[in-house]
Amino acid sequence: MKKFFYKSSTLALFAAVLLSSCDPEIDTPSSSAGEADFAKYVAVGNSLTAGYSDGGLSRAGQLSSYPAIMAEQFQEVGGGEFAQPLFTEEQRNGSGYLRLAGFTPQGSPITANVTENLAIRSLSPRLYTKYLEPISNLAVPDIKVADVKTAGYGSTQGNPYFERITPDNNTSQTYLQRVQAADHTFFSMWIGNNDVLAYATSGGAFSGGMLNSPARSITPTAVFDANYSELITALTAEGQKGVLATIPNVMALPFFTTVGPSVKQTLAANNIPGFVALTGSGNSRIQVAAEQINAAQNGVYIPLTAAAYAPLLGQPTGRYWRDLARQVSPSQDAAVVRLTLGGLLLNFQIDTTAMFGLSALNPLPSALLLDNTERQLVQATTEAFNDIIKAQANARGLALFDANTYFNSILGGFSANGVNYSPAFITGNLFSLDGVHPTPRGYAIVANEMIKAINTKYNARVPQTDITQYDAVRFP
Amino acid sequence: MKRKILALLGGTLLSGMAMAGGYQVNLASQRQIGMGHTGTGLLTGTSSIFFNPGAMSHLGYSGITIGGSALVSKIAYSAPESGGVTARTDNPLGTPFQVYGVYNINEKFSAGLGVYTPFGSTVEWGNEWSGRFGLNQLKLQAIYVQPTLSYAITDKLGIGAGLTYVVGSVNLQRSLPVEGQNGAEGAIELDGSAEPAFGFNAGIFYQATEKLSIGLNYRSQVDLKVEGGDVMFSNIPAGARSNFPEGTSFNAELPMPSTLSLGVGFKPTEQLTLAADVSYVGWDAYETLRFDFSQNVAGRPSSEAARNYDNAFIYRIGAEYNVAEGLALRAGAYLDKTPVQEGYLTPETPDADSRGLSAGIGYSISDNFSIDASFLYINKKERTDASNLSSGIGGTYKSVAYIPGLGLNFKF
Repeated sequence: MKKFFYKSSTLALFAAVLLSSCDPEIDTPSSSAGEADFAKYVAVGNSLTAGYSDGGLSRAGQLSSYPAIMAEQFQEVGGGEFAQPLFTEEQRNGSGYLRLAGFTPQGSPITANVTENLAIRSLSPRLYTKYLEPISNLAVPDIKVADVKTAGYGSTQGNPYFERITPDNNTSQTYLQRVQAADHTFFSMWIGNNDVLAYATSGGAFSGGMLNSPARSITPTAVFDANYSELITALTAEGQKGVLATIPNVMALPFFTTVGPSVKQTLAANNIPGFVALTGSGNSRIQVAAEQINAAQNGVYIPLTAAAYAPLLGQPTGRYWRDLARQVSPSQDAAVVRLTLGGLLLNFQIDTTAMFGLSALNPLPSALLLDNTERQLVQATTEAFNDIIKAQANARGLALFDANTYFNSILGGFSANGVNYSPAFITGNLFSLDGVHPTPRGYAIVANEMIKAINTKYNARVPQTDITQYDAVRFP
Repeated sequence: MKRKILALLGGTLLSGMAMAGGYQVNLASQRQIGMGHTGTGLLTGTSSIFFNPGAMSHLGYSGITIGGSALVSKIAYSAPESGGVTARTDNPLGTPFQVYGVYNINEKFSAGLGVYTPFGSTVEWGNEWSGRFGLNQLKLQAIYVQPTLSYAITDKLGIGAGLTYVVGSVNLQRSLPVEGQNGAEGAIELDGSAEPAFGFNAGIFYQATEKLSIGLNYRSQVDLKVEGGDVMFSNIPAGARSNFPEGTSFNAELPMPSTLSLGVGFKPTEQLTLAADVSYVGWDAYETLRFDFSQNVAGRPSSEAARNYDNAFIYRIGAEYNVAEGLALRAGAYLDKTPVQEGYLTPETPDADSRGLSAGIGYSISDNFSIDASFLYINKKERTDASNLSSGIGGTYKSVAYIPGLGLNFKF
């Protein structure tokens, strides 16, 4: 009897050990590429596609660009290597970028420039260390759809990010030609943001007039349509499949929504019903009501670039104009800067001894306000461009990530993995310190959304990435 | 005496990981585990202190039982619509235990003391999984000490009741979504002991015929309150430290729900005992998990997440067969319905309907000394939930547990 007991208890123990190694399993549908072929994936786009974050492009940003994240997921379903024009480890801070240095006693963030380990090979014109290996991520920060057929865009006088990846013996190659030369089986293209965003972020101040800058003007819709179409024709020349993305509404960006509320508060606290501002690129003034700030109707938006000047409202100051003069002056010689400043003040009819923003003699500069007219133009243009993008996706049977719809849908915030996300500056976790470009976490969310669009369109089952493995804003 | 037992147990033993519904741990007797944890309508021996104090006076002897289980539990997780993002717990071995002593005063009265662990949870997900901002690990312990009196009104009818003195503790750790320049994530740890709380356990036992017995048992709800528990932060970057102030303490409250059980026992032959139990657990007492902080944490004076548990039934059947003199074989099964409603799943208790299968063996070495061994396998249904109402971590969860146990019985 004892024997029996010992035997059975040994048996039970053995069984326990055996069973302990049996882990619970969750059956998940196996991943597949569906009708898509991810063997050679190429990404076309601007700063968003490059992995630009915190106002700059760094190696860390490149490594967590949404195409890099997607390529990693594609590798689960037959995707190949995805080469990016990575900055070296020694030059990992690339163009330099902003880091969070602290907060003011009022709780406003203080940023500082990262200036070491840069990949800058020339300061004027600004040029970066070349990268001429074959690449799959063809993204070029700042590029517009309007630029893709510009010869010399890859020269030292063109876009330094395109110059960086353009062979020295082929500086006349346009971006479109570079895309045409791509050898790929799948592509993503998210481009066109800068065709309207560059105008919006500068409050329309440089679209004509004395300070006219084509780079900061809105691209004519016909040009956008034609160039966009040519890009897709190039990318689908061999019947390749791919994904397109629309342009998010500027109101979804913390760049436009962060400073406004504090200005509104200051005005309300002092019983001031509104302010005076310059509109467009000329010297005409408009009166803006305080309640228009960030409002759904007749809304005006104060960009992040106004953060340094907004506290000066009501004071006699010419600080903005002095800063601008230094920026646009052909030389930093004090006399030349002074002369430039005089010209600016004369052109815009500014009296810096008048109350900043409250007197018609010293209005809020146009670049520090996206006023109602400008906002309407930006929205109408965004819609027009997005209609073109959606029509192209439709006509060519491509997947579409409707970034505009997506970013509008999350205006009120959402929660994922126990973390709250919203378009709020810094605290929202989605957008980096420049208020326009996502954090790595934000890019990972974009990658997952694109993967969803691809999966739907091509009956694929590309697995999603774990977004929590990517950084949000890093604190000092 | 009580204090001694507590010191002894508290130092060496952990309560079990929640492998019944919610954070209940139904592992109160090695003999009864073998029989699907039935026992309300049976004379279960000294463990009637737990199952039905009304039956204790019918025991007819004095005795002590010491037992414990080795609880190996594993939970798998898969993120929503992913397939790519998965995780597994690395739960430490749980060791729920029980000690019962019964003194047979006379034919009518018996007195007893029980120490057992009917609630608890130990879940360890680690600080790398995608749900770490919801939970890294949770350790919930509750130890019940129950002095009990039982009175045999007739030789067929018995009643009994015990006062439960409950001590407990909680430790909860999660990552915080705040990173320093080196990318290290912050973390919060809540650690506190509950104020001693009281409840009761009462039952009626009726031996209807020689073959049929019936029992009814009620264990009351006990609310465990932590006051002045420690809140500890780690890896908080200097720039965010004012949001996570040092020296913060917390208050919290967690209900250990009531359980009403009805059980029957049936002996068709001398050798065979059959049992069936139905329990109704008052989980609806668990409405929110709320931590009140002594100073604002992340800008808020408290953290609250809805739980809104539903009352739930447990159905059990069990059998014991005396193969030979002194040797009994046991088997049982149960279905433990989950109290967690749709939308409220959490990584701390990723609960689903549980199916339990058990087997056991009892052997009397002498007239005074016997041993019970049990083995219980628990398989929870795979469950997918958005967790959108509980601030939980949405996804698919699947849990299993393997629970061998051993108990020693001494009779005087």
